[in-house]
Amino acid sequence: MSAPIGNPQEDFLVLDDVHTHFDMGKDLITRASKGVVKAVDGVSLTVRKGEILGLVGESGCGKSTLSRTIMQLIRPTAGHVWFKGQDLSAMSDAEVRRERINFQMIFQDPYASLNPRMTVLDTLAEAVKTRHPDLKRDALRGRVADLLRTVGLNPTHMKRYPHEFSGGQRQRVAIARALAPEPELIIADEPVSALDVSIQSQILNLLKRLVRELDLTMIFISHDLSVVRYISDRIAVMYLGRIIELGDAEAIVDRPLHIYTKALMSAIPEPDPRTERSRERIVLSGDPPSPLNPPSGCNFWPRSPTPHDERMKHVEPPFEEAAPGHWVAACPFCAPAAPVPQELART
Amino acid sequence: MALLEVDDLTTYFHTRDGVVRAVDGVSFTVDRGETLGIVGESGSGKSVTCYSLLRLIPEPPGRIERGTAMFDGRDLLWLSRSELRKVRGKRISMIFQDPMTSLNPYLRISTQLIEALQTHEDISHRDALKRATAALEEVGIPEASKRVTRYPHEFSGGMRQRVMIAMALITEPDLLIADEPTTALDVTVQAQILEIIKQRQNDLGTAVILVTHDLGVVAGTCDKVLVMYGGREMESGTAEEVFYAPRHPYTRALQKTIPSLQAKGQELYTIPGLPPDVSKPIDRCAFYPRCPYPKTGKPAGERPQLEEITPGHCWAACGYCDSDAPIETVLARADEVVDDALPVEGETPA
Repeated sequence: MSAPIGNPQEDFLVLDDVHTHFDMGKDLITRASKGVVKAVDGVSLTVRKGEILGLVGESGCGKSTLSRTIMQLIRPTAGHVWFKGQDLSAMSDAEVRRERINFQMIFQDPYASLNPRMTVLDTLAEAVKTRHPDLKRDALRGRVADLLRTVGLNPTHMKRYPHEFSGGQRQRVAIARALAPEPELIIADEPVSALDVSIQSQILNLLKRLVRELDLTMIFISHDLSVVRYISDRIAVMYLGRIIELGDAEAIVDRPLHIYTKALMSAIPEPDPRTERSRERIVLSGDPPSPLNPPSGCNFWPRSPTPHDERMKHVEPPFEEAAPGHWVAACPFCAPAAPVPQELART
Repeated sequence: MALLEVDDLTTYFHTRDGVVRAVDGVSFTVDRGETLGIVGESGSGKSVTCYSLLRLIPEPPGRIERGTAMFDGRDLLWLSRSELRKVRGKRISMIFQDPMTSLNPYLRISTQLIEALQTHEDISHRDALKRATAALEEVGIPEASKRVTRYPHEFSGGMRQRVMIAMALITEPDLLIADEPTTALDVTVQAQILEIIKQRQNDLGTAVILVTHDLGVVAGTCDKVLVMYGGREMESGTAEEVFYAPRHPYTRALQKTIPSLQAKGQELYTIPGLPPDVSKPIDRCAFYPRCPYPKTGKPAGERPQLEEITPGHCWAACGYCDSDAPIETVLARADEVVDDALPVEGETPA
């Protein structure tokens, strides 16, 4: 799959044909291979400094595995991850650990990602020390207080334990923990899906403000396109371990090209009874197929609402630039590239 | 008379840390073939409302304090155990949020589907199995006759939720209560499941109570909406009324927080503060501490009464905020605070 790869030496974060496969091992008795789960199957991507890249897809599409591969928590089985000109995938574990203070992660469930037996102060102080190991008690506290203020919490609460905070506040603590080592890249894996709508918007605003003020770069992973649309500069749509569409957030939302993106867009319920009752839905049949024997060729064909064409099972669609900066894996059989909209054609 | 008329339903949990007023005087009606959406954030009492109707509240600590729920002329809240068993699963069925935990992993799908039939109807095993297979076909499970004898783990999440729907509808109930039926599912699968519920509702004329936190889901499927907050009704009416002419500050604020309704690049509107702590008595509008509207006075020590704006469109009229103020000026004071610390304490009403 050809793809929009930048220059690994210059660009901020470059993924070059990254594969993360999990070998399921052999059957105990028959010794037959149980197969290989192709969680990430050839992803090439460039993340620019200072942008928020949204990564959307259904559960099981490999978006979390991809984020963990970037973090090098799972090593890729093939391909390279270049971070500021360094090939992370070629580094030793110890080197990666040193480098990791520059890229941090926020997880979905703040109930599970904070140690319940450590106070907020302990948790954050430990994270601060990865960057400033020599910081002494008072300075450390001052830094933790600053962090709490940055994420909108009261520094007087630093002696509290995670259970003494509400879900939204706990997610703020998790964000503060990610910020503590002063990273340049933050990967947020479904950071708001466990939260209520009214709290969700607080966290989204906070993340957006932090990226701007602290000059961060963020990869924002979610299954909720409406949230991703709001926060992201660019959006990458993932399906079965591959990126099938990539472009500016507006372009992806307003002029989706791949039929899967269109279906995903049309499945989001709009909070408006009239449009909701009159709109045309592209309802996909079935569930996302399993990444342990993914369909051949254009991997979307089993769910495509268009008539099946035998050829699409054999031809892997190329990843092409359909409009400037708007890439799509256009399968000529199931997702005929949409005609370029009028307003684009003119510019 | 409506199929279900709930009046002043009140369910408290008497815990060691005090009385949790999970549902505090909620009233609504559902007609045959109609869909009522109950919307609210977590802790707003929407699930407990549904559980109370079928008396699935763990007692103790829970207790239905007062109220009536007239279902076809009989009060569900005061049925005897044996009468209740005849209603549950036969005339009123329920679908739960998590299809992974609400199916028994040790039993075949067929056993679980047939159980409801054989409990309520005098039917032979062979006929029941036929009905079970047909029920699976109706919810769109391919190769139903083969898959009916499989175990739950052999189905995907979306398929399992279909099985749950088939199971709930196999006895052709009058009322289906769906508690967040699509929250655990992907959007594409959610669209399929909602479509199936709608279709089966049309076929059978079932009334549906759909509990959800997603206003989008409500807009697409519900005829009537009940907005809950802090265990109380904030607003109720037809979907059109609640979406296009919301009256209660909470309903308006909730609509404003949805990302898809916001212009890109703008700061998202947020409701400051935290949901109320229902373990303390709230003797005023439950939303008052977070209400973004200009305050016009100190709330007196009583909760707002429901007021009818147009027939069927009600709101809990607080009277201590200027809820006629244009929404734009209200929204100007967006996200600044956040130091909401823990439960809002010390704020005692005058």
